[in-house]
Amino acid sequence: MATEESASVMDDYEMLISTTDVALLKRAWRNEKAAPEILQFESSLVQRIKEQIELAEQNEEIFEANNIEPLTVSLYQMDLDRTQFLLRSYLRVRLQKIEKYLFYVLKTDEYLNRLSKQEQMFARRCTDDLGSHLDETVLAKLPDNYRSILKQSITSEEDDMVPAPRLDTFVICKAKQYLSGLDFEPEYSMEITEMERDLLTFVCYKFVKKPLENGKIDLV
Amino acid sequence: MAGQSDSTMSLFSSEEIEFMAEDEMTEIVPNLRMDSLNFICGDYGPFLPQLAAQVPLWLALALKKRGKCTIRLPQWMSVENLTRVLEAERDSHAFQPLPFHYIEISRLLFDHAREDIPDMYMVRSLVEDIRDVRFHKVETNLEKFTASTVTWKNMSAMEVNVIRAFAGRALQAFYKHDNEQQTQDTDRALDKQPQIPTDRPKRNLKPR
Amino acid sequence: MANYYDIDGILMEEEFVPVVFQKAINGVNIDESTEKGCVEQGSKTELPFWLAHELHMRQAVSISVPTCFNQKTRLEIQADAACVDLRSRCPYFYEFGCKLAPLCDKSIGLLLSYAFQIRYKEVLHKAHTTAFAAASKFLMLLTKEETYLYEAAQSSMLAFKKWRMGGPRLQRASILGRKRKPAE
Repeated sequence: MATEESASVMDDYEMLISTTDVALLKRAWRNEKAAPEILQFESSLVQRIKEQIELAEQNEEIFEANNIEPLTVSLYQMDLDRTQFLLRSYLRVRLQKIEKYLFYVLKTDEYLNRLSKQEQMFARRCTDDLGSHLDETVLAKLPDNYRSILKQSITSEEDDMVPAPRLDTFVICKAKQYLSGLDFEPEYSMEITEMERDLLTFVCYKFVKKPLENGKIDLV
Repeated sequence: MAGQSDSTMSLFSSEEIEFMAEDEMTEIVPNLRMDSLNFICGDYGPFLPQLAAQVPLWLALALKKRGKCTIRLPQWMSVENLTRVLEAERDSHAFQPLPFHYIEISRLLFDHAREDIPDMYMVRSLVEDIRDVRFHKVETNLEKFTASTVTWKNMSAMEVNVIRAFAGRALQAFYKHDNEQQTQDTDRALDKQPQIPTDRPKRNLKPR
Repeated sequence: MANYYDIDGILMEEEFVPVVFQKAINGVNIDESTEKGCVEQGSKTELPFWLAHELHMRQAVSISVPTCFNQKTRLEIQADAACVDLRSRCPYFYEFGCKLAPLCDKSIGLLLSYAFQIRYKEVLHKAHTTAFAAASKFLMLLTKEETYLYEAAQSSMLAFKKWRMGGPRLQRASILGRKRKPAE
């Protein structure tokens, strides 16, 4: 059947182009956008992409100097724009997540370690700014026992005012290969036992957290 | 339900879905000579007049807009194939195999490459009919789901995106209701001992 | 509580529940007309859920089923779940029910599942097929969560249609001319 053939041709192409850094970045961007919690920062990938963007920008100058056809130059520019869009969007989604779960990220080592150096700095400075702002405007005027940003009062046993990412959010994912029960956390063995390759699945994020971290599924 | 994650951050706009679709490979026939393009996203060309080449859709459209190529209609977009798919869609509950980005690809081609599509009106109305039948199926499917994990074969990117917010939220509600039943069962096992739930800190203050 | 700042979570806990005091409590009044300054064991009153819950954990009160989950509502839901005006009964019907079920009547859980299963289909159907003006009467029946669901379905569909009609970028699409009342 024509459609199936072309679909498998598409698959092969996808395999082929998935080796480029742009394809990897696109995947990281999609996963980051779809996941409720912040994922591991792709530091070496981002580094490579940045270098390629720099190179492309240098090339543009060379093109201009060498009177290369405007058509060719504009096509290179489009390629550059697309890559930059991906990179910016990826970094921006992460910053939004960090802002949203600021205090939670900072007090959870697992999350903090997923951030890049710059993101960690951003998180710390955000906290400092937000903290001093809240102190000046509200907290300093409250009785001593109620001055924490994280706790309702000093009698709270935990940081009970810190919103955490909702891991029971539903996401859409696709397995790159057949997944058996072994690929999932044993604690969810009642909920999920297998996943067919390429089948779109609506599923609770926490069930597929492990295969996502192992690179066996992609969020769509 | 209450306190559900803010979903706007994890949503993809239609434009973002379109952006992804623009990376799909397309066959073009250039009418110019051009050296290889060594892009960040991959190497394409060299291009020679009348010699078919495979390029990402965005590149095909860029060349097309400048009158530098014709785009070969993908096989699945032939009247013959679309007619067959439409019939099959109507006859079956299942989704027929189509490219993951069929809605975006076809729209981009209708908008920018209409003179390369023989029987443009026919093709367009077939694609629209297929999409309508499939959207209707998506809705019927949604009306049926009650489990907390749902799979769909051959559903396309845009179709999934249109129901993402609703389905995600509804599934979360189902999941929560189910879990409610389970916690009730464990409560029952513990008999009537009023207990402070252990999964959250004791709260004396909220909402005052 | 996943999110301390969740406004719906806070409002939901303000819903009133009927309680019966299991202990006598000194120093408080539940009845303005008397000046006893204490509550006797067995007194009945209505308290906001957050307070009733705390007292329940201390075994000071028992919680009874509020009217929004009473027999009459149950019968109506069983008869035609999609047409029941849940909003006027309790805008946080499901969330409130989930919290309440383990405390007073476990069968509430089943009622919630049943009602939601029937009603969410209607919500989806209306969101995708009905013009906003025509749906407004239906919207009056929905709980807060159902309204969110309706808006999610509707805005995704609208965004898709806008994209489909779009034509060249950044041009005003004809569909944008349609007026839509701002939600709430």
